[in-house]
Amino acid sequence: MTTPARFRALLVFFLVAALAWGAVSTWTVLRHASAAGNVVAVSEPLSLDAQRMYRSLADADVTAATAFLRGPDQPLTARRRYAADIAEAAASLSALKGGAAGNTSNQRLLAGLATISAGLPVYTGYVAQAQTDYALGYMLTGGSLMQVASEQMHLTLLPAARGVYARETDALAAQSAQATGLPWTTVVIVLAVVIGLALAAAQRWLARRTHRLVNAGLLIASAALVASTVWLAAAFAVARSDLQQAGRLGSAPAELLAQAAISAQQARGDEVLNLISRSGDAPFEQDFQAIRARLGPGPGTLLTRAGQAGAAGPAARAWYDVNDQAYRLDSGAQYAAETRLVTGTGPSGSAAQFSQLEGDLGHAITADQLAFRSSAAAGRAAFGGLAAGVIVAAILMAAASAWGLARRLAEYR
Amino acid sequence: MARVAIRVSRCRGAMTAGLVLVLAAGCGAGASAGPAGTPAVAASARVTISETGSTLLFPLVGKWASGFHQEHPNIVTTSAATGSGAGIAGASAGTADIGASDAYLSAGDLVQNPALLNVPLVVSAQQVDYNVPGLPAGTHLRLDAAVLARMYSGSITAWNDPALAALNPGVHLPGTAVVPVHRSDASGDTFLFTSYLSAGFAAWSSTAGYGTTVAWPRVPRAAAQRGNAAMVSGCAATRGCVAYIGISYLSAALAAGLGEAQLANPAGQFVLPTAATIAAEVASFVSATPPDETISMVDGPAADGYPIVNYEYAIVRTRPRSAAAGRAIRAFLRWAITAGSSAQYLGPVRFQPLPADVVTLSEAQIARIGAP
Repeated sequence: MTTPARFRALLVFFLVAALAWGAVSTWTVLRHASAAGNVVAVSEPLSLDAQRMYRSLADADVTAATAFLRGPDQPLTARRRYAADIAEAAASLSALKGGAAGNTSNQRLLAGLATISAGLPVYTGYVAQAQTDYALGYMLTGGSLMQVASEQMHLTLLPAARGVYARETDALAAQSAQATGLPWTTVVIVLAVVIGLALAAAQRWLARRTHRLVNAGLLIASAALVASTVWLAAAFAVARSDLQQAGRLGSAPAELLAQAAISAQQARGDEVLNLISRSGDAPFEQDFQAIRARLGPGPGTLLTRAGQAGAAGPAARAWYDVNDQAYRLDSGAQYAAETRLVTGTGPSGSAAQFSQLEGDLGHAITADQLAFRSSAAAGRAAFGGLAAGVIVAAILMAAASAWGLARRLAEYR
Repeated sequence: MARVAIRVSRCRGAMTAGLVLVLAAGCGAGASAGPAGTPAVAASARVTISETGSTLLFPLVGKWASGFHQEHPNIVTTSAATGSGAGIAGASAGTADIGASDAYLSAGDLVQNPALLNVPLVVSAQQVDYNVPGLPAGTHLRLDAAVLARMYSGSITAWNDPALAALNPGVHLPGTAVVPVHRSDASGDTFLFTSYLSAGFAAWSSTAGYGTTVAWPRVPRAAAQRGNAAMVSGCAATRGCVAYIGISYLSAALAAGLGEAQLANPAGQFVLPTAATIAAEVASFVSATPPDETISMVDGPAADGYPIVNYEYAIVRTRPRSAAAGRAIRAFLRWAITAGSSAQYLGPVRFQPLPADVVTLSEAQIARIGAP
């Protein structure tokens, strides 16, 4: 091959290599930046909506049933809390449906949302019918309809809401993994190293062939490559670190706490369901003990793993103690005393103890979510301007190497 | 709790064990086609389905098993009077194909076992009977929830208590001591009776409450009996007794010399559990009955309604132990709410047929048994 032909081949190679590297790097940056953005702006809020929807539904059922069990003088605060829970669940459902719009690939998520959309009005209808009967003085009929409402909640709505939460949590994990994943970043850096070595080799060959110390065009291209690669690697490292920190210190403990809150809601629901279950033979003691063992505090439990054994542990233990009393009363068929203990508004009642635990968990979840958002936003910000910078660098690399080689080629004409 | 074996087998002749009553009259060969409207259970093998539970429903199930077997010789139905609590537990645990209960399933039962259904078969009622000597023939004492609650709480100790006298002007009441009798087993009758007391007397609601079992107040002379038959015989043997007994035992109670009380309904009327008063009460609940047919009909709005009425439920699993058993259970239950609800069957036990709209709801639930 003649020397001019070699110059032409080098020129085409560096032109193609620079533009190809620029394209792959830009795509990788945009992919990671988009995933990081989705984590902060889409997946985490949807996961939060799913969690909020579950908790609102569970709380609505407990609130409605508890108010019902307290007797004909249902407190206004309970009615307002029930209405607020239903409104919040509906708002979360609406947000989740908006987030799932067009996402036909997740049929289980869509099915879960459809189940809740269809089932929520049925539930509120039964509650309204129960309250009407109760207000008219037919407390037993109202009670049986409240039981039917609770069955709708426990058999249809809450399982579907749990499924939706699991799907959204999986989506958040997948987006986080995409944002922090290494494969394409590694490809981009390896490509940069290969192109850099090629530039160095070309520079050396040119120095020997033309007796010039450096080729200015290739030097500029090398500088652009090094600068953009360093920026890119630093941005990836910072984003990965921030997003992993967001997961480690934010979403992971928040997820554990959300599971703890859902478990606590389930146990509280069991307590109240037990009170309106007067016709059967199904004690919830075993269920409650299983949830208690999962919730903690204690080695391997949700509260301990989430680092909340000290903060929420005492409230959990106090609530368990009240529960033990309630189940002792239940096994002795002391329903009236059990009802007072479980639904009463006193500071030593189950409702107050549960509220304390729920409040502790809520505050901890909020703190973890703030930590998550702060770190995840920093991770997303690390990609700021990077895509444009990589494009400019790639164009500069292509132009500079073409210019440098074209000047040497011109000497042969 | 009595456990009833479930099996699908060739006919082995008559079987009797403990409380289990085998109602297989014959062992004729061959499959049979059911009457119009009743699906035939085509099978060369005989199918035995087991029922256990409500002592109130027990007499009727015996007659049903016999009548159904005549039309479906390849299906044998065994029944046992073990109490509603045992019926629900048997169906939940899968030790019985059909659990009979005077009370609907609790939310707890359903949440822990979502495959269960409660299917109303007939309308029943509960009578309150007493053994008070010296009352003129044909007297039906008037009682209400407050007075009954006080009798069961021990604060009314004699039949001539002023509260009783006030409800029964012109009736000379003796000073016989009140002996409240309640069920010792987990019972739908207890659920219904204590529901009536809870609805009508707040002090009862805030102390004992209602359920298939309750913590009965400690009353010195109080007695406990297991099953409706024992409630009748126990009350008949105890002067001054007051007892709650299922309507299907009314003839037995009257034959034993017990008096039948008129109960106060929310409209302030005192009514006996007749076909008309029971039907009036149930009619007021038809439109409110939800698809799963869980509803309390105690102390309803009908001015001329009897206050303690209920559906008698079959507790069944949506996934039966076998396809053949599922077909047999569906056929039996459909037959029970149609051909089995004729006066021939219900008249002697004083049950009432389900209203037409409730039959439709029950049929929809029965169709879910064994459905894919």
